[in-house]
Amino acid sequence: MYKLFLTLRYLRKRRIAYFAIAAVMLCTAMVLIVSSVMGGFLDQLKLKARGLLGDIIVDNGIASGFPLYEEFIAEISTWPEIEKATPLIYSYGILRFGESPRLNTVRVVGLRLEDVYVVNAFKESLYYETYYPGTTTLSPQQQPLLGFDPELSPAAQSDPTFRLPVLPEPYRSALETSRTQGIVDEAVPSSLSQEFAAEGAGPIPGVYDVNWNIESGPTLEGEPFPGLIVGRDMIAARKPDGRYERYESYPRGCRMTVTLVPISRSGSIDLPIKQPFRLTDDSRTGIYEIDSQHVYCDFSLLQKLLEMDAAEQIDVESGEVIGTTPPRCSQIQIKLTPGADAYAIAERLEEHYHSYMADPRYRLDLNDVQLVQFVEAKTWEQSQEHIIAPVEKERILVTILFGIISLVAAVLVLCILYMIVLQKTRDIGIVKAIGGSSGGVAAIFLLYGAAVGLVGSIIGAIGGYYFVTYINAIQELLIWLNPAWRVWDRSVYSFDAIPNTVNMLDVIQVVVFAILASTFGALLAAWRAGAMQPVEAMRYE
Amino acid sequence: MSDALLSAAGIHKSYAMGRTVLHVLRGCDISVRSGEFVAIMGKSGSGKSTLLHILGALDVPQQGQVHFAGEEVFAPPRLRSIRTNALDILSSTERRRIRFRRRLFGFVFQFYHLLPELSVLENVLLTRMVGTPTLAWFGARARAREDALAMINRVGLGERTRHRPNELSGGERQRVAIARALIHKPRILFADEPTGNLDAEAGAALMGLLKSLHDEGQTIVMVTHDAGVAHQADRIVRLEAGQLRQV
Repeated sequence: MYKLFLTLRYLRKRRIAYFAIAAVMLCTAMVLIVSSVMGGFLDQLKLKARGLLGDIIVDNGIASGFPLYEEFIAEISTWPEIEKATPLIYSYGILRFGESPRLNTVRVVGLRLEDVYVVNAFKESLYYETYYPGTTTLSPQQQPLLGFDPELSPAAQSDPTFRLPVLPEPYRSALETSRTQGIVDEAVPSSLSQEFAAEGAGPIPGVYDVNWNIESGPTLEGEPFPGLIVGRDMIAARKPDGRYERYESYPRGCRMTVTLVPISRSGSIDLPIKQPFRLTDDSRTGIYEIDSQHVYCDFSLLQKLLEMDAAEQIDVESGEVIGTTPPRCSQIQIKLTPGADAYAIAERLEEHYHSYMADPRYRLDLNDVQLVQFVEAKTWEQSQEHIIAPVEKERILVTILFGIISLVAAVLVLCILYMIVLQKTRDIGIVKAIGGSSGGVAAIFLLYGAAVGLVGSIIGAIGGYYFVTYINAIQELLIWLNPAWRVWDRSVYSFDAIPNTVNMLDVIQVVVFAILASTFGALLAAWRAGAMQPVEAMRYE
Repeated sequence: MSDALLSAAGIHKSYAMGRTVLHVLRGCDISVRSGEFVAIMGKSGSGKSTLLHILGALDVPQQGQVHFAGEEVFAPPRLRSIRTNALDILSSTERRRIRFRRRLFGFVFQFYHLLPELSVLENVLLTRMVGTPTLAWFGARARAREDALAMINRVGLGERTRHRPNELSGGERQRVAIARALIHKPRILFADEPTGNLDAEAGAALMGLLKSLHDEGQTIVMVTHDAGVAHQADRIVRLEAGQLRQV
């Protein structure tokens, strides 16, 4: 009992121990912060990749794409493990914003919206689809104009001219539906809609109808163009609190033009094609590189524009039609039924695709055989392995490095405890004189080291936890003090915010390691204290 | 000698002082009966404290044997070769000495040797804590506290239980040391110059306390260089030239 009693008493009364506790605390917090941020980065990477890809990805890594995807999807859709499969096309283009001189090089993705909603988490990334459900479509559409509600807002009774903005149908009903369901738009209202937002209209983004007529209500205008979903970082500004403010010059339905470069199945490049679109929604996946570079349009439209659709095959010499080249896609994303073994199914899918090369039903020419033979089916984890594996290794490496640096705390504990043993030499003699054993006296200092580790690591873990939790606010504070102090560059680290979640398993591991290190640091002091002879110790000056 | 509670025979102890060896004890023999109050006198540096430490199992002789109630306090001479302090942690000799100090012996030192971080009550309780396993302590704590308070009252410090040693006078500190030495009801109390650091009045009061303890049957072995103090014992032995002589 005396061991615990004296340990706690020395911990309270020996102020020098506070330095050891502080060292352990700082090292614990440091390791936890590094581990959490790196681990969070990795988790986000996996989560986002998972959300954007589906369970299995089939592609051949060639810009020309690959044929027979429709046949493949039709056949595998009968497999019990396959819930949904959808083709996608990836290409590159130049995006022009309206009539402005602003041009962005973009990755153009062709997709079947309804299928993609099932296969991955793309739907959750959409802004308008969240607050105006059912209104996001990639088919041709006009620009909705904002009118004003003929009824007075209760908040504007004092001003007879004040009217809240309203949208034409179906946007108006969709907005009311989402608000009835309690889905509240937390976007930053643009400067034009701030006044209305304050009156309860919410941050309704849009362009106002200058010829608005209270009798006819809000309207749609302009030539119909296909819908285009644009990465949010291209049409909105991210605020320090993580919310977005949409640029007023890019309202929903505004015109945008994408210039594409078709690539044939043999690899030859055709003349560029310009296609006008209307902005139908914006997507925020959370990966900056995607949200600042990706636009999404209808699969069939993009396939046609890129000349990846079915085409007549003409004999060069005779000019006769000798067959049809099959349409191509760049990728197939597959969602599996729950519990299915993704790795085993990926192997089966790849074998199945390769079997088409020798399948007499299709009689592929040399170009198509080459495209098919490179088709690979991978799980989402395998497809992202080239990114995930190095980050995983980097995380382990950095944690080990910081763990080694943390041994400084153990050395400090050693030095401080050794000093305490020297200071308490006479006390050690007294304790031994009244019957304290060598092991018992040694245990006092081992317990002391463990207690320093326990107290320091718990305080450090709490500090580290709150630091990680508020790490983005801390960065914003630093940026506010000096913009050059930005430590997390979205364009470098992909994600728009520093990962701020703490894994409790990490906390436990770090705390246990800190306690063990501190106890280890106390070993020498404990050994010396235990080995002292009582008479010599009591004579110590 | 068969009725001796404590006996020592042929005790030798020397210290290396640079290149020379200082022979402090050169074959000391002593026997203390149960209930006896023995004073060991001698000049400063004569080795009387060393002898007391050896008798009290705080130190080990190079030669000789010490028995307590017929039981050997030190291991046979063959273990004397174990000089490394660290090895003592594991040695049976060490364990035996600890058992004597913890259960059977009590010590009072000239410089009190109280733990400065602990209150009077805690200093006294510490002896009981040392002798009680951790889990058993929770059951024994209340009783130990009662005993400690009774002992503190016995030495006249009932109002000072929460005070720390630096808030007490020398005489009061020595009383606390006596309470600490007696809380576990030792068979024998070793007192090393108990009045050596006190003024005459405090020294006399302390001797009165020791005398009354002796009157109640407590065996005491006291080291002193003060003849006045020594004469309050039943028997005086003098340490001269490393050997004991009956006075």
